[in-house]
Amino acid sequence: MSRWAERAALPAAVVATIATLSVVFYYPVGSVFVEAVLESGRLTADPLLDILSDPFYTGVAHHLFVDPLGIPAGVLDWITSGFPSVALGRFGFTAYQAALSTVASVALGLPGAYVLARYDFRGRRMLKSLTIVPFVLPSIMVAVGFLAMFGRAGLLNDLLGSVGLGPIELLFTLKIIVLAHAFYNAPLVTRLVTTAWESVDRRQVESARAMGASPLAAFRDVVLPAILPSLLTAALLTFVFTFMSFPIVLALGGLRHATVEVWIYARVQALDLGEAATLATLETVLSLVLTYLYLRYEARQRSTSGAGQSLLRKPLTIGWQTLRSPTRLAIFAYGIVAAVVFVGPLLSLLIESVTAPDGSFTTAYYEFLFAQQAASAVGTTKPLPAIVNSIVYGLGTLALAVPMGIVVAMLAVRGGRGSRLAEALLTAPLAVSGIIVGLGLLQTMVFGTVLFGYRLTAAGPIAIIFAHAAAAYPFVTRNVAPALGGLDSRYRDAARSLGATRLRALLEIELPLIGAAVLAGAAFAFAISVGEFDSTVLLAEGVDSYTMPVALERYVNNRSLGPNLGPATAMGTVLLFVTGLSFVVIDRLGGRWEP
Amino acid sequence: MSEVTLRNVSVVFDDVPALRDISLSVSEGEFFTLVGPSGCGKTTTLRTVAGFETPDTGSVEIGGRDVAGVPPEDRNVGIVFQNYALFPHMSVRENVAYGLRYRDPPGDVSDAERVTNLLELVDMAEMGDRDPEELSGGQQQRIALARALAPGPEVLLLDEPLSALDAQLRERLRVVIRDLQQELGITTIYVTHDQAEALAISDRVAVMHDGRVEQIGPPEEIYREPATRFVAEFIGDNNLLEGAVVSHTPPQVRLSAVDNQQGTTITVDSLPTESEEVTLSIRPEDIRLGDEHAPITLSATVETVEFLGDTYRVHCRWEGQSLLVTYASDSAPEGSITLGIDPEDVAVVGGDQP
Repeated sequence: MSRWAERAALPAAVVATIATLSVVFYYPVGSVFVEAVLESGRLTADPLLDILSDPFYTGVAHHLFVDPLGIPAGVLDWITSGFPSVALGRFGFTAYQAALSTVASVALGLPGAYVLARYDFRGRRMLKSLTIVPFVLPSIMVAVGFLAMFGRAGLLNDLLGSVGLGPIELLFTLKIIVLAHAFYNAPLVTRLVTTAWESVDRRQVESARAMGASPLAAFRDVVLPAILPSLLTAALLTFVFTFMSFPIVLALGGLRHATVEVWIYARVQALDLGEAATLATLETVLSLVLTYLYLRYEARQRSTSGAGQSLLRKPLTIGWQTLRSPTRLAIFAYGIVAAVVFVGPLLSLLIESVTAPDGSFTTAYYEFLFAQQAASAVGTTKPLPAIVNSIVYGLGTLALAVPMGIVVAMLAVRGGRGSRLAEALLTAPLAVSGIIVGLGLLQTMVFGTVLFGYRLTAAGPIAIIFAHAAAAYPFVTRNVAPALGGLDSRYRDAARSLGATRLRALLEIELPLIGAAVLAGAAFAFAISVGEFDSTVLLAEGVDSYTMPVALERYVNNRSLGPNLGPATAMGTVLLFVTGLSFVVIDRLGGRWEP
Repeated sequence: MSEVTLRNVSVVFDDVPALRDISLSVSEGEFFTLVGPSGCGKTTTLRTVAGFETPDTGSVEIGGRDVAGVPPEDRNVGIVFQNYALFPHMSVRENVAYGLRYRDPPGDVSDAERVTNLLELVDMAEMGDRDPEELSGGQQQRIALARALAPGPEVLLLDEPLSALDAQLRERLRVVIRDLQQELGITTIYVTHDQAEALAISDRVAVMHDGRVEQIGPPEEIYREPATRFVAEFIGDNNLLEGAVVSHTPPQVRLSAVDNQQGTTITVDSLPTESEEVTLSIRPEDIRLGDEHAPITLSATVETVEFLGDTYRVHCRWEGQSLLVTYASDSAPEGSITLGIDPEDVAVVGGDQP
C-alpha cells in the first residue's frame, strides 16, 4: 500500500464506520420515527395521540390524553369507591413487569454480592466471572430452558410428580417472566455491587471501628454509601433492560402477557407497520428518557480509586461449626435457590434434549438437527441451515463489528470532541431495542429505499448481518477502548518516528499489544450475533435466512414442526455450547462489559 | 545539513499555553539540552520537533526545510523515551530493525548488518535474541538508542532517557551517550530536569521555565552568568542577595540590610546601566570560609553543617540572611566565622542584558 493510501485509510475508516452506522442503525431507526409522525407526507401527531388515548395501550392513563380536566374527579371517584384495581394497558403492564423484575433481580442478586464480597471459598473467582454469562446467553435459549424446567412436562413437574405433587402451571404467567428476567439481571446486580463492595477500603472501616462505631454502624456509615450507587445503577439498568425485553416475554408470556415490545412484533406480523412504528417511537422515547436518567446518574458517581485494600473475606466453611452459624446456613439456603434459578433451566435444557417423552434416553433430537430434511415442505424451518446461517452471520458480524468497534475505540480514547461522539454512538444502541432496529431495517433495506430514482434493496442475510453488527460493535469498543487507552502512547510515537504511518503503528504495534482485548471483544460480538433474536426474527420473516434463535422460537411456538420441545432443547444445547465457548474465550482473555 | 531551528513557536493545550514564543537554533552535530522543572515545556518542545505536536504559531525547520505539515514518520528523526517504549512483542533485534522497514539504512549495508553494527555500537551484540523485558533498565536504554539510530536519522531526540535509572548507572550512561554522539556527530536534542546532567553532557543548554526559554548558552556561561533569577536559582546551588546600587562608577552595591542591619558595600566588576536594584549571585564554592584577607569579608555565624564526604555544606547566617558555603576541610566549622569573597565571583543576575 502506498503511504498516501495508508494515510487516507484511517480517516476513511472513520467515515465508513459512521456511514455504516447511519445505514444500519440511524437511518432505519429514524425512518421508523418518521413513519410515526408522517401521514401522507404531512407532519401529524394523530397516530401518537391515537395510541396514547387508547385504553388498550395506556390503561387508566388514557384519560390524560382524552379528558385531562376530568382527572381530579376521576381520582376522587376512585378513592371513594375504595381503590379498585386499575387497568394498566400495555405500557402500564410493561412498566409493571419491569418493576417486579427489578425487585426480583435485586432480591436474588444482592445476597450473591454479599457472599462474593465478604466470604472466601473455592470457586469464588470462577463464580464471579460466571456473572458475565447472561450477556452472552441468547435469551430465547434461556426461555427454552425455562420451558424445559418449569413447563407442564418440564423437569420441575417431573420431579414433583415423582413424589406425588403437582403439577404446577407456571407457563404463560407473570411469575415465570419475572423469574426469567431475574435469571438475566440478578447476575448484573451481583456483579456491579460486588465490584463496589470490593473497592471499599478496609482501612476506612477499621478507622470507623477504632473511633467507636459498632460493626453495624460502620457498615451503615462506610460500606453502605459506597455500594448504594452501584445498586441503584444496577436497578436502573435492569429496569431499562426488562422494559425492552422481548424473546423471554414472547416465549414465556405469550400475547396475554404481551409487553409493548411483543405487541410491536405482533403488529409487524399482522403487517400493521404504521401502528408498529408509532408504538416503537413511544417505546423508544420512554427508553431514551430512562437511559438518559441512567447516564446522568452514572456521570454523577465518582469513580473509586481502587487503590485501597478491600475488606477481609471470611471463610465460608468452618468445619462442623458451619452448621451452627445462622448466616452460613442462610447462605447455603440462598445457594440452593440460586442453583435452581440459574443452573436449573440450563440443566433442564441439556436433560430434556436427550430425554424421550417416556423418560428414556434418546439421541433422536440431535439426529433431527443434523439430518437433511428433504421431505420438509417449503417454508419449514430446517435445523441445519439455521446452524449454518448462525455461524455465517456470526463471521459476517465479526468482519463488520470488529473494525467498527476498533475505529470507535480510537475515537473514544483520543479525547475531545471525538470521544464525546464515540460515547454518543455507543450509548444509542443501548436505548433502542433490537425489534425497532429490525423494523427499521425491514422498511429501509428489505423493502428498499428509493435513491436517485433507483430502489435499493438488500436481501435478508445482508440486513441481518448489518443489524447484528450494529448490536455487537459496542462490545468490541467496550473491550478495546480501555486497553487502547491504557497502552503507553509512546509505543505509537516511537513507531511513528521510526517511519511507520499512523495505520502501520496501529496494525503492527498497538493492536498486537492489545490482542487479548480485541479477541475478547470479537468473542463478545460473535456471541451477540449468534444469540441475537429481536431484529433477526423480523428480518428472517418468510425467507430462508433464519438463525438458531429464530428456529428455536418457531419450534417452541409451532409444535407441528417437531414432535415436542425436544428439537428446541437440542438446538438450545447447541446454542449453549457455542455461546459457552465464547464465554470461555472472553473470560480467558479478561473481557469486560461495563454498561 | 541537519540543524534544527524553532522560530517563535507557541503550542496551546486546551487554552493553556504550553510553549510561549520559543525560538532556538541547534547547529549541525551539536549536543543541545533543554533543561527545566516539570511542566516547563521542554518535552513539548521536543515533541514539536518530532512532529507529535503542531505549533499554533511559528515554524520548525529541520535541515533548513520547514517541516510544517510533515508527519512524524516523514521527519527522519530518532527519538528515545524515558521508559524506552521498546515493543514488548518483538525481540531486541526486531526492535532495532523496525525502522528499517520504512527507511533504508545509511551506507551500503544490508538491514541485518546494520542491526548487528548498531548492537555492537551500544555493546549489546549478545542480546539480539532476547525479549526487551529480560533486559535491565540500562540495557533497555542502550537498545532504545540503537533502535532510534538504526535508520540513520538526521536528528536524535532524547526525552529524559536516563531518569528511570539509579544515580550511578545514570552517570555512567550519560558518558556513553555523549561519546556515541561525538562518534556519530549527530545533531542531538536532549531533555532533562536534572541540571547537573545538563551541564555535564551538553555543548549548549537552554533553560526553560513556564513555557519560555530563560537562557541559552554553553554550560559554563549558564552556570557563571545566569541571565535571570530563575536560572540562577535552578542551575546549581547558589546564594542570591538583593543589593541597592550605590554608584555606577566605580560599580558599587550595598548588599541589602534586612532587619535594619547595616549591611556592607562591595565593589563588583560591572553593573547594568540605569538599575537601582540588582540581584547578585555568589556560588557556595566561591565563598572562602575563614579567609580574612579577601577583598570582601562578611562576619557570619554557622547554623547547620552537612557532611558530604569531600566537603562540608555550611549554612551560615549573615545579618539576617542565610548563606550557603562549601568548605573543604578535615573538621566542621562552628561559631562565629569570617567569609571571604572576590569581587569577580559576584555575578549580577541578568547583568549582560541592558
